[in-house]
Amino acid sequence: MVRPGSVPLAWRNLVSNKSRLLRSAGGIGFAVLLMLMQLGFEQAFFESALVVIRGLDADIVLQSAHKYQFATRDPFPRAELDQARNVPGVASVRPLYADWFNFFWRSPADGKIFLVRAFGFDPDAPVFSFADVNAGRDKLKETNSVLVDRRARRFLGMDSGAAEAELNGVKVKIVGDFALGPDFQSDGTVVMSDRTFTSLLRGPAGNPSAVDVGVVKVRPGDDPAMVQQSLRKALPETIAVFTKPELIEFERNFQAAVSSAGPIFAMGTIVGFVVGMLISYQVTYTDLSDQLPQYATLKAMGYRTGYLLRVVFGQAAFNALAGWVPAMLLSILLYYLIGRLALLPLHMSAYVALVSLGLTLGMCLVSAALAVRRVITADPAEVF
Amino acid sequence: MCAAVVAERTEAPPAALSSPPEPVVRVHGLNHYYGEGEARNQVLFGNSIEIPAGQLVVMTGPSGAGKTTLLTLIGALRSAHEGRIDVLGRELSRLSGGELVDVRRDIGFIFQMHNLFDALSAYENVKMAAQLVNGALPDMQQRCVGILERLGLGHRIEYKPRFLSGGERQRVAIGRALVNQPRLILADEPTAALDKDSTMNVINLLKQTTIDYGAAVMMVTHDHRIIDSADRLVHMVDGRIMSDVVLHDALRICEFLRPIELFKSLTPRQLTDVAEHMKKRHYPAGETIIREGEPGEEFFLVSDGEVEVIRADHEVARLGPGDFFGEVALISGEPRNATVVAEGEVDTYVLGKTDFQTALATSQSFRDQLYRVYFMRH
Repeated sequence: MVRPGSVPLAWRNLVSNKSRLLRSAGGIGFAVLLMLMQLGFEQAFFESALVVIRGLDADIVLQSAHKYQFATRDPFPRAELDQARNVPGVASVRPLYADWFNFFWRSPADGKIFLVRAFGFDPDAPVFSFADVNAGRDKLKETNSVLVDRRARRFLGMDSGAAEAELNGVKVKIVGDFALGPDFQSDGTVVMSDRTFTSLLRGPAGNPSAVDVGVVKVRPGDDPAMVQQSLRKALPETIAVFTKPELIEFERNFQAAVSSAGPIFAMGTIVGFVVGMLISYQVTYTDLSDQLPQYATLKAMGYRTGYLLRVVFGQAAFNALAGWVPAMLLSILLYYLIGRLALLPLHMSAYVALVSLGLTLGMCLVSAALAVRRVITADPAEVF
Repeated sequence: MCAAVVAERTEAPPAALSSPPEPVVRVHGLNHYYGEGEARNQVLFGNSIEIPAGQLVVMTGPSGAGKTTLLTLIGALRSAHEGRIDVLGRELSRLSGGELVDVRRDIGFIFQMHNLFDALSAYENVKMAAQLVNGALPDMQQRCVGILERLGLGHRIEYKPRFLSGGERQRVAIGRALVNQPRLILADEPTAALDKDSTMNVINLLKQTTIDYGAAVMMVTHDHRIIDSADRLVHMVDGRIMSDVVLHDALRICEFLRPIELFKSLTPRQLTDVAEHMKKRHYPAGETIIREGEPGEEFFLVSDGEVEVIRADHEVARLGPGDFFGEVALISGEPRNATVVAEGEVDTYVLGKTDFQTALATSQSFRDQLYRVYFMRH
């Protein structure tokens, strides 16, 4: 029925009344913005938890099989790393000491004490791909010297330019910095040598013979998946062997499905979706009600229901885009501002853009499906 | 004068007597109801009507008479409950939903409210109808522009409805109805919002469509400016077609009746009353119109053609246009005293027994004249 050169009714309906378009775009855009903020925060939450993993200079990562997320302590015997080194295809296995709950940082700015995230490694066997960390690793050979996160939350005073600070009650020398940033669990990070790390920790947690992570590099030309299989065979079941992408996925799944963050952000997105659907329904329903005689006239003239559906859904899709585009632009600005303020990796990604577009189209089309009954049941005889 | 208020109760003629051209609209025995159960209310009662191509039919009647309901049933916008409706050669009750939509595409609808899309220009509103019909894009554009120009809206083609006057909007709606040159146009008070000039413009255009491509126009209106232009007047009261008069026929009936001695004493009003009740009926060649010995039920006036009067197997007379027969049996109550056969194609105007006797009772002089004729023929 519709052919080239036909009247673009849905588009005309959308753009003919500028103030109505502004209102509907504003209403729908507001709901889209709600969803975008939730999606953005969720993305930032997940990404911030993954920054350290992404920064590991590893093809394969070993950690305790009992760990349910990366940011927990469950050390395993360092001897397991020696066993891993003998597996064919393994180029190197380096230990990483990591702790999220036992390092207390006294701010050089105001003297207050805060919990920080701490990583320790052998300065001669680097485990990170962060350039600043690797550039400063020689300085870490000096006992009780540390590198601090200049993107840590300001109240930690890591960006104050102080030469010294206190960690677990011990004076440490700040020999450099790097840019990592906080996540939803830690406000800042301190990197040190493995020796400093173990000396600053007391009790069992400070046991140097126990490591938290094994950073494995595979020989050039060898297949990481094959090496992973070999490592699994060689190591006890208490050691989990992940390729780096697998560990990222493992961590993401934990955040999305196990931690409370996933459902919270999902619920926030759903609320945005429902609000958007209600607004979109109101916009579509009002528009259809206003033009019911016109649609009934189309039916009388000989237009089939399919055409009317295409017009209504087309207009709903246009409404969705009219709300989505400004919400996207505004969210990019808000991401930037909030990201700077909260020191979170909050930025627009293709994933967030596509998901929000899909949700926006979905909410507008679903609401159109609810409202379109009014047009379908419109009796053309009633226009007489 | 005689033709001003001519009306006739219509019944569908027997199928065997129908004229060969298929009417655009044929309604027979139409009943329709609103509501269900105890609330069911009959709004149309056994209506029958045929509308040939090229006729501008004006429907009048008080509010609630059923005019619009009849229009919507003919327009395939509702389904008839009882009776039969044929539109453009298709029996509506036999059609599926999709086929009914196809029928509607062949009909031009004009509503009291223009129902134009505010978002579309005059041109695009008309194009909404034009694009329903297959054809090349340039041709479609030409048709849209052409009809708007004919409606005096050539300078308003790109205007949106809110920038047009009420009359201009209605003319756009009329353009939308006419752009595909439909063979049937259904209109409900199309000129209610128009001034005198716009009304005449619209009526002339509708009239022209009946002439140019033989469209049949059915229009509900109370506008007397339109009634004067109608070919036929249908008057409805309480769900019934109370009168249905082809004005051209009414004029002819009056012209025929006036010189006849029998009707000379009738006033124009009385003459109109007689004409009011006469209906046109066509007979093919050789058809027996009345048969000797049968009871008399109708009075006949020959409109076109010639009939042969036969008594006891012998032709006793030939009657042509303006002659009448069949009155004797109605007056005396005796059986027909002759057989009348159509010589060729014959059109007659027929008056039923009841209406004839009512007319008889109306005028003393008419009755006297008839009795004189009766005794002269015996």
